[in-house]
Amino acid sequence: MNNIAQNNTQKRDVLVNSTTVIETKMLCRHFGQGDTLVNALTDANLTINKGEFTTIIGPSGSGKSTLLQLIGGLDTPTSGEVLLDNKHISQMTGTELSDFRRDHIGFIFQAYNLIPVLSAKENIEYIMLLQGISAQERAKRVSAIMHDVGLEGLENRRPAQLSGGQQQRVAVARAMVSEPSIILADEPTANLDSKTGIELLDMMKTLNEEQKMTFVFSTHDPKIMERAKRIIRLEDGCIVDDECFS
Amino acid sequence: MLIAKLAFRNILRNRRRSLLTLLSMGGGFFLLCLTLSMSEGSYSNIINIFTQDHTGHVQIHHTNYLERPSLYKTINNLDSILAEVEANPQVIGVTPRIYGPSLAYGKNKTFPAQVIGIDTKREALTTRLKSKVKQGQYISSDISKEGYFEAMIGYSLANNLALTVGDELVLISQGIDGSIANDIFLVKGIVGDANSYEKMNVYLSLPAMQQFLSMGQGENSQAHELAITLAHQQLAQPFAQTLQKQLEVSELTVAPWQVVESSFYNSMQADKKGSYVSMGIIIFIVSIGVLNTILMGTLERTREFGVLKAIGTRPLSLFNLIILESLILAVISCLFGLLLSLPVCYWLATSGIPMPEPIDMGGIVFDTMLGEVSWYVVIVPSVVVIASTLLVSFIPAIRAAQISPLKALQAT
Ligand SMILES: Nc1ncnc2c1ncn2[C@@H]1O[C@H](COP(=O)(O)OP(=O)(O)OP(=O)(O)O)[C@@H](O)[C@H]1O
Ligand SMILES: [Mg+2]
Repeated sequence: MNNIAQNNTQKRDVLVNSTTVIETKMLCRHFGQGDTLVNALTDANLTINKGEFTTIIGPSGSGKSTLLQLIGGLDTPTSGEVLLDNKHISQMTGTELSDFRRDHIGFIFQAYNLIPVLSAKENIEYIMLLQGISAQERAKRVSAIMHDVGLEGLENRRPAQLSGGQQQRVAVARAMVSEPSIILADEPTANLDSKTGIELLDMMKTLNEEQKMTFVFSTHDPKIMERAKRIIRLEDGCIVDDECFS
Repeated sequence: MLIAKLAFRNILRNRRRSLLTLLSMGGGFFLLCLTLSMSEGSYSNIINIFTQDHTGHVQIHHTNYLERPSLYKTINNLDSILAEVEANPQVIGVTPRIYGPSLAYGKNKTFPAQVIGIDTKREALTTRLKSKVKQGQYISSDISKEGYFEAMIGYSLANNLALTVGDELVLISQGIDGSIANDIFLVKGIVGDANSYEKMNVYLSLPAMQQFLSMGQGENSQAHELAITLAHQQLAQPFAQTLQKQLEVSELTVAPWQVVESSFYNSMQADKKGSYVSMGIIIFIVSIGVLNTILMGTLERTREFGVLKAIGTRPLSLFNLIILESLILAVISCLFGLLLSLPVCYWLATSGIPMPEPIDMGGIVFDTMLGEVSWYVVIVPSVVVIASTLLVSFIPAIRAAQISPLKALQAT
């Protein structure tokens, strides 16, 4: 992993002239108290711009999931702030937060987590239905994204009738189709074999390049790390390295 | 729409469990419906038999007559009131009665007796008196060749006075003009048995009674009571209210059988409460079963709710989803229960269950338990099943709505 740091061609601060999607300020997340206190994340300051393809790496227990959950509004920080599209998400609750996640964040989970009773197409449509997008527009976007993720012809299959890789493609399509500000993926390839994982990641990278979609994902897999354009390294809840590649 | 689609698919997803829920809720409906049908049917039957025996569904008296009966508290303008009552399409029959407590004398013995003057034709159309004649014949207003009016006497009175059909009966009472009324009558028939309402009664035709008590006849006829039978016993209270307004005669009181026979009515109401307890138990058992399946169904899907929430489903939508799933199941269960119940209720209403031992209530014999088919019998179980299901779903629904997406996602 250190060789990646050495391959570092461009320091983070050099990047200019881009719009900020995420900004975290002194973000901390502690679990437990006293003897059992765990500093899952400590004073994380981070800025992610539109169109970036960022991976978060680090040993197990270093706080990767915690960071992604805080950014995604699934968890509340102990202290510090998360700004997504310049909005303080840590202060939102209930319906407001639900709607914000619906409109601004796309999630891809390690375990795919598709809705089992809905077909591939319906899973992809789900968020657009919540958003009240017209049937015509939905149909247009669904067929476009099915093409992009290479699942044409599998529209009506239920998740149980799809392979893991196919399910994760549906999950990518579901996360992207509502055109969120950012897509967060916690170890999206961990349940896939490495070939399928790399294929999925290449597909995500293509979508990132073609559609300027912002991705942040975490991984353990060195082959996956290589494909990132920016690597943020966590250790014991602290950001210890942050480098960009062109 | 989206939520409805999800709800339907979720119900179809675990078919066995949905079927079990459906069976238990449908079974609950069936039991409730049957219990209600039997209790309503039995009460209707009792009320019908009771009211048709002599009370009728509604009675008209001079105000206060029921509290303190008196010879002088009469209903005047009898003909016009009869016509007015009869004009009502709900009325099956209306009959006037005159009451005169008397001393009855026959074959060396004297007994007090309630003498009732009846319009023989109308009485036969309104109550079952005619069918209760056990010996001889139902009276008419004819006068025998000896010049006597006919009388019909109760079974016990006949025994006490040692009278049979064809014998002479002497009645002594007070006329409305204060004179002593006494007359000889011909025993034409003996009515009822040792237990029935009529056992110590004497029935005379209206003209005979009027002459006996020196009351007005023909156009000037008066009566103490008008008994009315209606198409259905449930019409009694509303009908009594409307008629009271319609009559516009302040000295008359129109009362439904519930008031006239208030002690009978009250004991029946008390009895009804007993059946509420058994219905409550059915509801409780069904609800526990439903709560169990719904809770299991939602616990299993905790992770899924986490996903739905994480990707932007509002808490309220998740709440609605759970409630809707239960509601759909409840409605289908009701339809299923209805399908099961209707034929049985219909059979109960038409054939009924013969009682091993007939019950005798004040001389009125019940030998069949009858069911009833009515809106009440169907709607109450539906409302109860749907309401208890919704109530029971509240807990899992709130749980699902308030679930933290993160915790739910980490659930296995
Ligand atoms: N709910 C929790 N309660 C207590 N401690 C927690 C909780 N969630 C996470 N932690 C702790 O916080 C630290 C960071 O966890 P996190 O899941 O972010 O690590 P990670 O980098 O994602 O690890 P992995 O690579 O194994 O997924 C760990 O020490 C973990 O034990
Ligand atoms: Mg993790």
